[in-house]
Amino acid sequence: MQRSIPFEIFRYAVILGIVAVSLVPTLWMISMAFKPIAEWSAAGADLTWWPRNPTLDNFRFIFGQSSTDLIVALERTAGRPIFASLLTATCGTLIAMTAGTSAAYGLSRFGQGGNLPLALIQLRLFPPMAVMIPVMIMWSFLGLIDNWFGLSLIYGIVTLPFAFWLMKTFFDDMPREIEDAALVEGCTRWRVFVRITLPMMRPALASSALFVFILNWSDYLIALLLTTRDWATIPVYMASLSSSMTGQLYGAKAALGVIAAVPPIIMGIAIQKHLVRGLTFGALKE
Amino acid sequence: MASIRFENVSKSYGDLRAVDRVSFEVPDNAFFCFFGPPLSGKSTILKLILGLETPDSGEIFFDDRPMRNVGPSDRNVAMVFQNLALFPHMSALDNVRFPLVERKIDEATIQARVAEVTEKLHMAHILHKPPAQLSGGERQRVAIARALVRDPVAYLMDDPISALDARLREETRVELRRMQQDMAKTLIYVTHDQEEAMSVSDQMLILEQGRVRQIGAPHDLYDAPNSAYVASMLGAPAMNMADASEAVQVLSHTPRMNRNAKTVGIRPENLKVARKDGPGRVTAIEPLGATTVLSVETAGITWKAALRGQPAHEIGAPVQLSVDAGSLHCFDARGNALPAA
Repeated sequence: MQRSIPFEIFRYAVILGIVAVSLVPTLWMISMAFKPIAEWSAAGADLTWWPRNPTLDNFRFIFGQSSTDLIVALERTAGRPIFASLLTATCGTLIAMTAGTSAAYGLSRFGQGGNLPLALIQLRLFPPMAVMIPVMIMWSFLGLIDNWFGLSLIYGIVTLPFAFWLMKTFFDDMPREIEDAALVEGCTRWRVFVRITLPMMRPALASSALFVFILNWSDYLIALLLTTRDWATIPVYMASLSSSMTGQLYGAKAALGVIAAVPPIIMGIAIQKHLVRGLTFGALKE
Repeated sequence: MASIRFENVSKSYGDLRAVDRVSFEVPDNAFFCFFGPPLSGKSTILKLILGLETPDSGEIFFDDRPMRNVGPSDRNVAMVFQNLALFPHMSALDNVRFPLVERKIDEATIQARVAEVTEKLHMAHILHKPPAQLSGGERQRVAIARALVRDPVAYLMDDPISALDARLREETRVELRRMQQDMAKTLIYVTHDQEEAMSVSDQMLILEQGRVRQIGAPHDLYDAPNSAYVASMLGAPAMNMADASEAVQVLSHTPRMNRNAKTVGIRPENLKVARKDGPGRVTAIEPLGATTVLSVETAGITWKAALRGQPAHEIGAPVQLSVDAGSLHCFDARGNALPAA
């Protein structure tokens, strides 16, 4: 179809607008992470898109090296929160994926479980706040406040519906005949799952796990309510990056933001080749 | 090594009676073909044999041994699925080895068996590739090799060669027939291609909406169909069907026919066409080489006649139609076959 030139201009303007809205703040964060204090705290005409004197001071600062320009010293460095985030997001993802995948397989293949799919959706219908207060009370009874396991567990529970629904869609789309073939060729149900279904589902597992991991990784509310100090995650720690003298430490926050963006990006690149390839590519005749 | 017997087996999915009180016996070492239109229950019967489905009622026997409580992996039946169902994450070789590895057969035997089968199917050069890198015909061979590699009581094939082009299909079906005879194994074959079914099978079973319509050798079914349905399923072009009273008016020297006949059927190769003034008009001529298919229209009926060679006919020319007494099939109002006279 031949499109008119005004339409094309309009189309690209819209695309450019969407790209700008989503990417400019990210670029701004990256730029700020490398600015010295004089530049990130500047206002008005002194504000620049790119750092004039790029520096790693912000990164050094959050890992405990005192800055020459910044008089404040941090009470806690970023190392521990990064570790806390990595550990809890990973464990939460493992819990959600294990439970979600098992439930999805059972439901997809045997149609048992009654209203479980809907019940799982309902878990997401409540505003998180409404759920989190009772959870907070329960967790404190169980001694799970400010505890890596407590946080991992709730991450697993909260993202379980996503893991379940994503995996169920993939299982529903997988041709039955492939499993039937394995059954006929001498496998038990369990062997079929381990030898055929899971290896075939690797791309689906990878993309679902990435999605769940990002959800856990970017959580602020739950970590804020369930951690106090030892297991504060990156977002919670980031909020605390301020001082009475300089106010919000935007440079340090930006540096931490850049660090926080790294794990999901690495995971995304690692699984990219799985995402591109089709799920059952070549298994069936076309 | 086994006969397979169905006794009054039924299977429903919701309101759909996929298989309805079906009884038959597949004799040992037979090439047995299930034939019918889509949704006539062919694939469901295969699943019942495999144990992937359990019958709602009735019983399935392998050599007089009831199969009710025997799972798919213990039935020792090999299957080539309609969509092949290869394992996409394994190489062709691992696909073929799979049934033996899962049965924990020793490595030396596995290698010997795999070598034998892959050589027979000329597929040594594709063994290292994953299914995604194989052509349709190569995938087909992998699927067939996976079935042949072990020593099952019977082989089941669900329309396994429908993805191939016409010439390759003809070659493959002859090859399958030859292999089945070499191995002296029962082969149960499902197809929707009547030519394929007739050309390879010892016996065929014709299904209609989950019910058995007729079982027998292909030529018996062709020559003596027990119903109009069976008659119309076999043969290409299909049998001419006409209302008995109308046929009498159209055919010159009509043979004596059963007085209860409501419908008569005439195979195209039995319909004689004479270039004389008569009630028919030639409407189409399809020269196919060895035969020529003539479409002849008489008051409201289009007849197909398959004539040997390339006889001289012209479109629009008047013709006379006739048939020999022995070639007339008579059916009653419900479509059941009647004796001709």
